[in-house]
Amino acid sequence: MTEALSYFFMSWTDPYLLFLTAAGTFAGIYIGAIPGLSVTMAVSILISFTFKWHVNEALALIAGIYLGGVYGGSRSAILLNIPGAPAAIATALDGYPLAKRGEAGTAIGLTTVVSVFGGFIGIAALAVGAPVLSNLALLFAPRDYLMLAIWGLLLVGSLSGESLAKGLFAGALGVLIGMIGLDPMTAEGRFTYGIVELTGGIPYVAAMIGFFGVSEVLVQLHSLAITPVRQDVTKIIPSWALLKKYLPLSLRCSTIGVFIGALPGAGGDIAALMAYDHAKRTTKNPSRPFGEGAYEGIVAPETANNAAVPGEYIPMLTLGIPGDAVTAVIIGALYIHGLKPGPMLMIETPHLFWFCVGNLFLANCFLLPMGLSGIRIFAKIVETPKAILMPLILVLSAVGTYAIENNPTHIYWMLGFGVVGYFLKMYGYQVGPVILGIILGPLIDVSYRRAMISASDDPLQFLGEFFTSPVSIVLVAALAITVLSQTALWGRITGTGKRAGGYAES
Amino acid sequence: MDHPRRRLPGELAFVLILLLFALTALWQAWRISGMSGWSTPGALPTLAALVMLLSGIKIAINTLRMPPPEVEPGRSLARDFLHQITPASIVLFTVLIVAYMFALEPLGFVASSFLFLVLAMFALGERRILRTLGISAVSLACIYIVFQTAFSVVLPEGILKGLLP
Repeated sequence: MTEALSYFFMSWTDPYLLFLTAAGTFAGIYIGAIPGLSVTMAVSILISFTFKWHVNEALALIAGIYLGGVYGGSRSAILLNIPGAPAAIATALDGYPLAKRGEAGTAIGLTTVVSVFGGFIGIAALAVGAPVLSNLALLFAPRDYLMLAIWGLLLVGSLSGESLAKGLFAGALGVLIGMIGLDPMTAEGRFTYGIVELTGGIPYVAAMIGFFGVSEVLVQLHSLAITPVRQDVTKIIPSWALLKKYLPLSLRCSTIGVFIGALPGAGGDIAALMAYDHAKRTTKNPSRPFGEGAYEGIVAPETANNAAVPGEYIPMLTLGIPGDAVTAVIIGALYIHGLKPGPMLMIETPHLFWFCVGNLFLANCFLLPMGLSGIRIFAKIVETPKAILMPLILVLSAVGTYAIENNPTHIYWMLGFGVVGYFLKMYGYQVGPVILGIILGPLIDVSYRRAMISASDDPLQFLGEFFTSPVSIVLVAALAITVLSQTALWGRITGTGKRAGGYAES
Repeated sequence: MDHPRRRLPGELAFVLILLLFALTALWQAWRISGMSGWSTPGALPTLAALVMLLSGIKIAINTLRMPPPEVEPGRSLARDFLHQITPASIVLFTVLIVAYMFALEPLGFVASSFLFLVLAMFALGERRILRTLGISAVSLACIYIVFQTAFSVVLPEGILKGLLP
């Protein structure tokens, strides 16, 4: 216990880690708020820069950016009616009407406090839930990992895209890209065509930066001319009475956030939309009708999306399965640092887990003062023209990709994936499932083959084994429900999820 | 979908390319191990390619069912594609990226990035030259310092070799 505590406070007592967490949170707020910059983009680029650092330092910076970024999207949603991040789409629905009424300050103050509140609930759930799940995960057979990974791909593909077919295509494409290189079990080359560079596989950081950085930059060039309208900001710190009134709703939405976050594949954007839907259905007398500036309409999504962040960490740290696109990128980072996310992570490196929990806690503490200040400078920074911003992001992407191995061919990969990603996005495909597929592909491959071998290569026995243990049966049920929900049933939930597809990023 | 959107220019062609790609992938994946067993190295690639092919067919059917793209009289579909999907600014920007990629090693990071930033900002419509030069120089200096100190990334020096700290 004392050991866990000492790891928990590692980033609190080490001045350098403290600084990195603060810097990350601060930068995250702006990255999340500036339309066109996304947390996924920032984290993918950062991984290439921080791979020489100690893993704790890299994680401290990334945790700050992640938490700050998810929150930051709400600011531009309220002030400019442009959600800075997909997780803030629901916030704009009531946030901007509030700003037009001259209540931007109160709205920002309220969202900051409930975001921090949601974050703490999420962190508590992570601290309690992850060790339990990790113990349970030791009972998982390869077939269970196979189902979890496929479930994650299905969820991200179906909830955030234009259609399930497009999500499936993107996920399978990612899995296929992840297969390129030497087969880990037999060292046989797959899709290598005798090219030495291909035997090591596709450089996946280049793929991430291409899909999330370059393609997003190209998409953003379509909307160069949009100039945001600024709102006046007055009183920011919300009154205690106001906070107390929305605490119960905030608590309920935190639960939704953690739960959705912990599902493999479903992230903060879906959590926020579902929480908004929940608030709409359960609030009898909203402060104003929804869509016209109801406080409930900003409290619900903002609590949920910040609660979802620690929620995403649960499957990432215990099962090695990403909760969303950002955690997929973080898993990539953990591999680069020689760690193997999965059930053994908490046994072999318990310090890493408690470090993450403590670090998220710290970042969440920083979020409160940083969220309640600096609004005026903020408006200036957010208005940086895209004509200046986009070339700069591209330089960062290119250099980041180059820096990993000082290899110019990685930049070609980056650009290639960027252009493919651009066309995919333009025609309504999500790139999130592709990256998830690249990360999960090797896991799916190895789990599938181990499960098949243990069923003595007999497909019927292989299918039969899915009904032999409670864990497998639960997972089969979850998979079945996910697929069923894509048919006519559950239209309501998918209906809310589909709205997220309007934004180009997953 | 409740309200099918209109098909975008080039969307049908894109789906066909995806289908062709899926078919090629299936053929190539099949070549890894064929049907020699269920747990061979080629099994999952074949399955993934099969999923791509099947979902690709479904996407193609959906795309065919969409109302065709609106083409104004006197304009062709190809022109609309150029206008909506690959406008000049995006093509130009991509060409600049390619040029930047090839210039990175011979010219070095600082010189090539500076050129890229100035040209790209200009191409995207930022016409205040002094501002462009200033922003490019200042931001590059920041990036360079941060890279060298915090991230200890080795950047190609190129033509400025020996001139920079």
